[in-house]
Amino acid sequence: MTLTLCSPATVYVLDDDDDLGASVARLLMRHGHVAQAFVDPIALLRDYPRTPAACIISDVMMGDMDGFAFADAVRELDPDVALVFMTAWPTTANAVDSVRRYGGLDYLEKPIDEDRLLTAVAEGVAWSNGRRLLTRRTALLTTRERQVFDMLVRGHSNKAIAGALGLSIKTIENHRAAIVTKTGTNGLAQLIALVS
Amino acid sequence: MASVPLPSADHVADGDVQAPSRADCASWLPRDREWLLLAGYGVAFLALHRLAILWSGTGYYSLWFPAAGVRLALFWRFGARLAPTAALTEIAVQCLTGIVVFTQPEWPRAIFGVASPVLAYGIAVSVVRRVADGATGSLATAPMPLGLASVLAPLTAVAFALPWSIIRPDLTNVASVRDVIASLTGFAVGDMLGVLLIAPPLLWIADLSSGRTVMPAMFPSRRHIAEAILVLGLSLALVATLATIGLGLPATPVLLAIAWIGLRFGRAAAWAAIVVTAILVLPETTGAVPVDQRLALHMSLAAVTVVGYLAGSFADAEARALAAVARRDRMLFQAERLKTLRAMSVAVIHEISQPLSTLAIEARHLVEISARADPEIAETARLIERKTATLSTLVRRLRRFGGRAVDEPSLLPVATLLDTVTALARPEASVAGVAIRIAPVDPEWTVMAQEIEIAQALVNLVRNAVQATDDGVVEIAVTRRDDRIAIAVVNHCTDHPLVHEGMGVGSLVAKAIVEAHGGTLSRADRGLARIAHVVTLPLAETPIGYVA
Repeated sequence: MTLTLCSPATVYVLDDDDDLGASVARLLMRHGHVAQAFVDPIALLRDYPRTPAACIISDVMMGDMDGFAFADAVRELDPDVALVFMTAWPTTANAVDSVRRYGGLDYLEKPIDEDRLLTAVAEGVAWSNGRRLLTRRTALLTTRERQVFDMLVRGHSNKAIAGALGLSIKTIENHRAAIVTKTGTNGLAQLIALVS
Repeated sequence: MASVPLPSADHVADGDVQAPSRADCASWLPRDREWLLLAGYGVAFLALHRLAILWSGTGYYSLWFPAAGVRLALFWRFGARLAPTAALTEIAVQCLTGIVVFTQPEWPRAIFGVASPVLAYGIAVSVVRRVADGATGSLATAPMPLGLASVLAPLTAVAFALPWSIIRPDLTNVASVRDVIASLTGFAVGDMLGVLLIAPPLLWIADLSSGRTVMPAMFPSRRHIAEAILVLGLSLALVATLATIGLGLPATPVLLAIAWIGLRFGRAAAWAAIVVTAILVLPETTGAVPVDQRLALHMSLAAVTVVGYLAGSFADAEARALAAVARRDRMLFQAERLKTLRAMSVAVIHEISQPLSTLAIEARHLVEISARADPEIAETARLIERKTATLSTLVRRLRRFGGRAVDEPSLLPVATLLDTVTALARPEASVAGVAIRIAPVDPEWTVMAQEIEIAQALVNLVRNAVQATDDGVVEIAVTRRDDRIAIAVVNHCTDHPLVHEGMGVGSLVAKAIVEAHGGTLSRADRGLARIAHVVTLPLAETPIGYVA
C-alpha cells in the first residue's frame, strides 16, 4: 500500500444512515476536504488500501461491524489515519475507550455539534499529515539508524547512545550524519521538530 | 397561617434540639381560635363534671370521669402548652359551681385541687410526646404514645394528689390507710376510664374534621356486624347468667369477646363494643353500691377497654401493613412500566437524533447559501436552523435523563437540584393545598451527585413533609458550614399524622442514597411543632469556567 500526503485531505464518513453520511461528507467538502461517505464498513476497508484517507469519521453503533471493530481493522491497514467517532448512544465508558483504546481524536454526540466536528477533522488531518511525513522521511533509515534516531530525538548525547548500544562514538557520529541526510533535515533541532 | 422559622446553620449541622426561645416560652397562651376551643372545653367540662357525680364516693370525686378524656384529647391534639389556660378554665367553672369559693379560708387549697390534675395531665402528655419523638420501634408507633399518655396522665394526677391525702386526709373525708388507698385508686380508675372511653373518639373526630384522617371507604359488612353482635351478646349473656345464679360478675367472657372483636375488625369496632359494655355496666354502679364492688367493676371495665384497644390496634396495624405492601407492589409494577417506557424513550431518542443530525447540518448550510437570496427565503432558512438547533438541545437533554444506563455523578448546582425537586413535588403539593417555599440559594454552591438519585431522595422528604404539614407550607432552606451544605425540609406539625401512607421504606431509600453521596440524613426538630429533615452533602470544588 502506498501512503502519500493528502492535499487537500481525504476524509471518509462511515455511517449506516446514508443521508447523514452524505450530509456530513458534503459539509466537509464545503470546508475544503475531499470527502466520501460509506454506509458499509466492509466496503470501506476493501477500498481503503487503494485510496487511504487522512481522517475517518465513524459511527459507533452499526450493523455487523461496530465503530470500534472497524477502528481496529483500519489501524491494521494504516496506523497513520486519524479517527473521530460519533454516536447516538453516548456512554462514558465508550467515550473513554474511543480515545484511550482506539486512538480516536474525539467522540461526538448526535445531533452533531458542527463546529466541534470541523475542529476535530482539522486536527485529525494535521495529525495524520505529520505522521505520514515522519514515516516517509524515516522510511530509508536502517534498523540501527532508526535506533540512533529514536534516542537522538529523546535528547540523548552521542556518548550516551554509544554506551547504550555498545558502539563507538565515531560510529554514532556516522549514523547521525546518515540520518540527517536521509531525512532531509539540517541538524538535531529539525529532527526533533519532525517527531513533534 | 403561622410562619415556620427556618433552622440556622448551627442547628442544622449539629442536629440538636433547639432550646426554647422567648417566643416559645410565651407559647402557652392560646392562639387565634384556641380561645374559642377553651370556652368549648369549659362547657364540656361543666356538663361532664355534673354527669360524673353519679359515680362519686367517699374520698374520690367519681369512678367514671369523662371530663378527663376531653382534657387529654385537648392536650394531645393541641399541645400540652394549653395546660395552664385549661387549668384556669376549670377553676372558672368550679367558681361557678361553687366548689371554689374565695370567701372560704380553704380557697387556695381548693384552687390547687382543681388545677393540679390539669397540670399533671399537661406534664404527662409533654413527657410522652418527647419520649415518643426520641424513640424508635414500638414506643414510637401510633397509637402506643396515646395509650401511654392515657395511663400515665391519670397516674401523674394521682401522684400529685398523694401528698395532700397524707398531710390532710380530713379534706377528702378519709380516715384510714385503706380509705386513702381506696380514694386514690378510685381517682385513678375514674380518670382512666374517662380517658379511655372519651379521648379516642374525640381525637378521631378532630382528625376527621381537619382532614388528617378519612372516613373508612367501606363500612363493615352485615355479616361482620352480626358476628360482632353475636360474640358480644353471648359473652354478656354468660356474665348475666353467672351473676343470676350467684357466681359473681366475672369480666373474662366480655374481655375475650372484645379482644376477638378488636382482632377481627379493628380499633373502631372494639371501641363500639366497649361503649356498649360501658352503657350496660355504668348505670349499675351509680348510687349506693359498696365501694369494693364498684371498684372491681370499674377496674374490670378499664381492663376490658385496654385489651380491646390493644387487639384493635394490632388489627389496624396489620391492615395498614397489608395496605402498604399492596401499595409497594403497585409501585414495583409502576417501576417496571417506567423501565420499559425508558427503554422505549431511549430508542426514540436514538431514532430522532439520526435524522436530526442531518437536518441540523443541512439547515445550517441552507442559512449560509441563502444569505444573499430573497430575504423571505433567508428568514425561513434561519427559522428552520433555529428550530433544528432547539430540537437538538432538547434531544441531548432528554438523553441526560432517559438515555444513560447508569446515572453518573456530575457537578450539580444546588439551586438546579432544588428546581428539579420542586418541579417534581409541586403537582402533588398543589392537590394537597400545600405551598413549597424555597429560601434563596447561593448559585455557587455545587455538589458532586447522581442527579436523578439525589433528586429522588429529596422529593421523598418533600412529599413526606407535604403529607405531615398542618399549616399548608413546606419550606426548604440551604445553609453552608465549612465544606458541607445542609438542605433542610421543614414543616409545621402539632401532632403525629395518623394517616400512614407507607412503611418508611421511602425514608430508608432516601437515607441510603444520601449516605452513598457521603452525606447524612437526620431529623432535627426545634421547639414546638417544627419538624426539620436535614440532608447534608459535601460541597464540590467547582472547576474554573464551569457553567451550570
